[in-house]
Parts: sequence; C-alpha cells; structure tokens
Amino acid sequence: MQRIYGSEMTTYPKAPKIQELGYELKVRETMDKNLITVQPETSMNKLRGVLRSNRISGIPVTSKGKLVGVICVEDLVNWLMAGAKDCSVKEKMSKNVVTLYTDEPLIHAINKFEQYGFFHFPVLDRLSSKLVGIVTREGIIRGLLKKLEIDYREEEIRRYRASHVFEDMLADKTSLIFKYYVVGQDFNRAGESASALKKTLKRLQTHPEIVRRVAIAVYEAEMNVVIYARGGEITTEVDPNQIRVKVEDSGPGIPDIEKAMRPGYSTAPDWVRELGFGAGMGLNNIKKCVDEMNITSTVGKGTHLEMYVATKKESVSYEVKGAD
Amino acid sequence: MKLGKIKEILKADLIVGSSLETEIKIICACDLMSDVLSCIQIQSSSLLLTNLTHPQVVRTAEMAEIPAICFVRGKKPQDLTMDLAKKNGIVLLSSSFSLYEASGQLYEEGLPGCSEYMEAR
Amino acid sequence: MKLRELIKKFNLEIKCVANGLDRKIEGGYVSDLLSDVIANGKAGDLWVTLQLHQNIVAVASLNNLAAIVIVNGRQPEEETIEKAEKEGIPIMVSKMSAFELVGRLHSAGISGMR
Repeated sequence: MQRIYGSEMTTYPKAPKIQELGYELKVRETMDKNLITVQPETSMNKLRGVLRSNRISGIPVTSKGKLVGVICVEDLVNWLMAGAKDCSVKEKMSKNVVTLYTDEPLIHAINKFEQYGFFHFPVLDRLSSKLVGIVTREGIIRGLLKKLEIDYREEEIRRYRASHVFEDMLADKTSLIFKYYVVGQDFNRAGESASALKKTLKRLQTHPEIVRRVAIAVYEAEMNVVIYARGGEITTEVDPNQIRVKVEDSGPGIPDIEKAMRPGYSTAPDWVRELGFGAGMGLNNIKKCVDEMNITSTVGKGTHLEMYVATKKESVSYEVKGAD
Repeated sequence: MKLGKIKEILKADLIVGSSLETEIKIICACDLMSDVLSCIQIQSSSLLLTNLTHPQVVRTAEMAEIPAICFVRGKKPQDLTMDLAKKNGIVLLSSSFSLYEASGQLYEEGLPGCSEYMEAR
Repeated sequence: MKLRELIKKFNLEIKCVANGLDRKIEGGYVSDLLSDVIANGKAGDLWVTLQLHQNIVAVASLNNLAAIVIVNGRQPEEETIEKAEKEGIPIMVSKMSAFELVGRLHSAGISGMR
C-alpha cells in the first residue's frame, strides 16, 4: 500500500519552543471530539460521500462501539483504481490501527505522523479503551498556535505591566522591594534567589548588561550565605536610578575582611571546594560587577553586605538627596 | 564555530537541548564556578568544559548567560541539573574525553580561551 | 619534554624549584577537583589547576605528579609554597587560562591519554 511520506513533514517547525509545547500539550487538548465514524458494513460508495462532505482524509471504523479499523482517502483511491467494484469498508480498511491515548504528550502524535506517514490517528481513553476523538495535522497546528498565542500574550502583558510601573505610579519617589530568603547549606536550592531576581529584573525591562551584573553579584553573595551561614536574606530595592542589594546572614562572620577580599583567599572547607566553590574569588567577583560595595561583619553573629548598581547613566551618587 | 561542529570534534552526546546552531567563540575549561563568573564580558558565546555535574554548574551558566556546557570524562549530569538546563534553555553535552584532551582538541581547531580572546579585541 | 624546557617554552613563572626542574613530563592533567586528580592523575603528569591552597601539594605528592602549574596568573598561598619545598613538588604560574595552556601543551605533544 502506498502511503504519503516525509517531505511534507519537514514543514513542521522544529524550533525549541514548539518542541517544548509538544511535551506540555496533551493529545486530548488538540483532538477533534466531533467523531465521524463508519461501520464495517458501510459501502465504499457511501464512504466516498462521507469523506467528501466532511472534508476529512480518514475515518475510524467502529462496530458496536468498538474501534475495529481505520479507512482513509488512499484506500478509497486504490479501490477506485481497481475498478470501484461494489464492496464494504470492511474489505478495504486497515485493521492494524495505530492509536494514541488522550493523556499522551502531543510530541508522540507528531512523532507518529513522521513514523507512519498517516495524518489521522484515533484517540482512545486509556481506562475504558473507548474511541473518544481523532487527532489530525490541522488539529495539532491549531492547538500549538493557540497555546503559543496564549503564552505570548500572557508574557507580553506581564512585561508591559511591570516595565511601566515606575511611570504609572504617582509618587515623589517609587521603589520596588524584592526580598528573598536563603536557606543555609542547601546546595540544591542555592542560586534560586539570584535566578528569580534575574527574571524579575528582565520583566522590569532593566538593561540586559545591568541584569547580568546584578545576577552574578547576587549569585556569588547567595553562594556565600549557603556555604558559610545558617541562613540569610537578600533584599533588593529597585528604583529608576539604581538597584541596591542588601545581603544579611546569620553566619560565623568574617574576622579579617581585607584578607577575605583578596582574590584566592578562602576559608572554605574541602567539601565545598570539591563542589567547585570556595576558590576565594566570590567577593572579588562581586566587586567587579557592582558600582559600590560595603561589607560589615561581626564574628559569631553574621555578615552584612551592601551593593549598588546605577541604572541611569547620569546618576553617580546613590543617595537620593531631595528631588531628582 | 557552531556548537554542532564542536559536538562532533568532542564526539559528544547531546543530553539536553535541541539547538546546535549557536556560534561558540570562546572555550572555558574550569571546575571553579567563581572563575567561570569572573570573565564577565564574553560569556554569551562561550562553551564551558567541566568535570562537575551538579545543578550549580547550570546556575552559574544561567547567571553568566553561557549557552552551553560540555561535561567531560563521560560524566552525565544529575536529574536536577538537567531540569534546570531545560528550564533555562542551556544545552548540555557529554564527551568521553578528559578535560585535558577535550581542551587540546578544541585548541587545535583554533578556538581561543578567555584571555586570548580579550587580547585580540 | 623536560620541565625546564616547558618552563622556557611557555614562559612560566617559577614559584618553587623544590627537587629540581629536570624531571621528564610524561603527560598532562587539568582539574580543579582534588578527588578527581587523586583518582585519575598519573605519575609524571604536569597538573594544571586554579587551586591555590596547600592541599594541592599533598595530592601531587600522593600521585607522584611531576609538577603543578597554576593558571590565570594566580599566586599560590605562602603555606602552599612552603609545603611544596618540603615535599619536593615544583610549582609554576602561567598568565594564560587553563584552556590555553592545556591547548599549547597538547600541541607540543604532551598527551592527556595514557
């Protein structure tokens, strides 16, 4: 039997986002629930009419509510080519039906299209094995586009709202404060705060270079809290002119700050070095990224680190003295 | 050099990610995260070669906007590492070469390291 | 290649001569993880690393490595140099990054595979 293969398949965009959606969306979200079926006894002549009036390329064949086969346009064409002798669907249908389950990720459907070269697969409910829908190429494209559009619109709205917040608020001075709680010694979660802050700054449409500098500085500070302290807090204050980050921890404190600032100097225990940290570059990296940095520390109590990054080129001083 | 070509040279497996089209201009061979972060100007077109497979490697790459990481000695990343990479669109590769050999191979192909690239600019 | 020739060829800064610079370099290893070097470093290897603390000497001693080269122009701690003198491990510093130094060593014929 001849099947229509391949080259049409490559029109599927293989951009990563589409693939991601392929895993996110399920077959049930893109299947066509308006099921048109025929019975094994239906004549091929009648089938022709059904296919044409519904403008579909394939139909599941059911008998007493059960899926027994599938018949498509090609089967009809082959029947026509062979002389169109009067017969029933039963004789021309394909009994080995390739099906999908409602809960499978959409990527399975896409893969099956490529694998088999069909453009329609009946969908069964996993528990009851009942035929509940049919998935087609058009359905998939429609589903993907719909999801893309929704995601895109949501992100646009979020970004728009966030980036205009300084302009929309009526005040003499507006600043946003983001606070993050850091759990000491938890290496699996270390870096979450820096990551969240980074995404937040991106939403605020902060200049990408500034975002990167702040993200790296906060990441290094967060790692220090995780490595040395029981826990800590990262408070970030963002206003139109600058970003100010305060990192306070309840850790052992730094006995000699000057020494600690020296590149390569580290008091990290061996197990920390084995994880790739504790090389003694952290504080130095922070200094390189920010415009100004202050550390105070009390041995036995904790460390307090403050850093500033100017976001407007004109602002040099980080202290707001009166109106801008 | 495209990431796909580097994958071939290192005979690496693709573990996470789908795009091998990224243009890689610099190689960083390093196991110390702070050092990876200190070369701040040029990370968005660099490839990190490392022995470490824990999630912090991906966090570091995320902060520095490094698009791809290649683990050496055939090391495969932990599950949490892979999840983080997927979420942040970072490509993960794994090569059975040692860090030494992988560096040697790529150096011979003309790819520069951090300081050479900066000097040339 | 002998250590002495390598130092000259790649312009390495000598921090500690220890037992002398005439040892033959059998191969190369680059890693910043001590456990990794202990497991895979071979006798006669030239170890390229960014680590600066004295534990690197213990590891080099344990595996009978030929010498240590610290990269990125970093300077080893004083205790590290003292220990290296005691244990007989030569230490050098290179301004290049690990990737660049290893690349050149590799081109010069010093292999990582043995």
